[in-house]
Amino acid sequence: MILPIGPIHPSLKEPLRLKLKTQGEKVLSAEIDYGYVHRGIERIMKGKTWQKGIYLSERVCGICSYIHTQTFAETFESIAGERAPLRAQFLRVLTNELDRIQSHLLANSTYFKAIEHETLFMYMLYLREPVMDAIELLTGNRVNMGWNVVGGVRMDVKQVHLDSIMKIMLKLESEYDRYVEMFEKGPLVGLRSHDVGKMTRDEAIKARAVGPIGRASGLENDLRENHHTYKDHLDLKVIWRKEGDNFARNMNRFDEITQSINLIKQVIENLPEGDIRKKIDIPAGYGDWRNEAPRGEVTYTIETNGNLIKNISIRTPSIMNIDACAKYMFNDVATVSDAIATYASVDPCIACTERVVIVDESGKTREFDYPNYPKI
Amino acid sequence: MLDALKDVIRKSSIHVCLINTGGCNGCDIEVVALLSPRYDLEQYGIYVHNNPREADVVLVVGAVTEQWREKLQRIYAKVPEPKIVVAIGNCPLSGDVFNQEGSSVYAPVSDFIPVDAEVSGCPPRPSEILAAILSVGPDAIAARGRQKL
Repeated sequence: MILPIGPIHPSLKEPLRLKLKTQGEKVLSAEIDYGYVHRGIERIMKGKTWQKGIYLSERVCGICSYIHTQTFAETFESIAGERAPLRAQFLRVLTNELDRIQSHLLANSTYFKAIEHETLFMYMLYLREPVMDAIELLTGNRVNMGWNVVGGVRMDVKQVHLDSIMKIMLKLESEYDRYVEMFEKGPLVGLRSHDVGKMTRDEAIKARAVGPIGRASGLENDLRENHHTYKDHLDLKVIWRKEGDNFARNMNRFDEITQSINLIKQVIENLPEGDIRKKIDIPAGYGDWRNEAPRGEVTYTIETNGNLIKNISIRTPSIMNIDACAKYMFNDVATVSDAIATYASVDPCIACTERVVIVDESGKTREFDYPNYPKI
Repeated sequence: MLDALKDVIRKSSIHVCLINTGGCNGCDIEVVALLSPRYDLEQYGIYVHNNPREADVVLVVGAVTEQWREKLQRIYAKVPEPKIVVAIGNCPLSGDVFNQEGSSVYAPVSDFIPVDAEVSGCPPRPSEILAAILSVGPDAIAARGRQKL
């Protein structure tokens, strides 16, 4: 039978319809309906200056809102052929890693909620709040920070703030292992997570899985390796695992948090002096840029005529990961509740995945006719 | 006597359903942050379970998108009395940055369902969301419950 879940359902945070094909309790396959939060951001951005576009790009996704503005700014910098000052690059890394920590902790807490382990769910949120404080201290806001501009960052940071952030990181690091051990060695969590929702390396390549989901299945690539700030100035180790099950995906995120804490320490210790922002004249042109968001790679492709954005395309990681989940991970899931846990383990973010293309009966595609847009 | 007892109990048992009608997740995660030990939503008797059929308070997050225009009203009809709606963030109030030429949002949400409390901010702080729920929740639940009897 077909079991529909969503769009509003106790187990889902965001609106999405999961149609599980089941035989008894066993899940045979799944189909996913999108489209509940499509707002048309790419369409609104066309014909606007980057000063307006950067606010829209921040609101593509609220959980990883930071990386969208950074990628947007770096795309424009690459069109102009310039880079932000080194201090600004370091501050971008600092904020990016803080954002990654809070996003991974939130993703893991959602998973623990899905497997009904409320204690770990609360512990993850307990660990997350000081990180949100650090973000607020640095940028002035908890979620939508407005911190990046083309050519640098908006505000400088004081030594007092850096010391506070360092203190928060040291405290997080000192408590952290205890909670990871609860997950790694806990019998209940292990039973619910090991060998559930398996995806092999070949399947991950076929499904184009990215980020921690791809890395948990053995795809050893992290775009931060290619990013100029990380490559030239910082020491980064790519975390990956072989198992490809729910346990591996969560452990991968846990290990990446350790790596992020390490990076933040490096940034605070080696933060160079200098400007935080420089003026960049943007020529007419075309450019793209890829960055590693908490969920995987995010690509911005922008065509500009100097002042205005002529065309923009945003490719976010969740769409590949959710499809990988629907096609490969649900194949041998024993129960419906395990299917929900598997879905939560891929850390789905619906707000960034929504795109619309209308396909005719004949197979022709055309652009969605935006209802609020005045007819010409 | 029975009414007074019911008033007391109802005031400290608020079931909450969160409906994302096309937001960016920013307000969603601030509601999730409310569950954390720092804010501890459950000490006020508030329980987030995302089931509209049992909810006393409905939190609406996000500008209303094409798909939600009819579904929001259908979900609202399923919510039992008293139907208390709290609109969280700028999106349900005005559409925020999405309400521009060319978008597919239909803000404000008060065009579709009646709204009892509004919290502005992009996103509002968790404590503001908590204050909004507590400002309309307990009294309205007690009062509307009495009318029905």
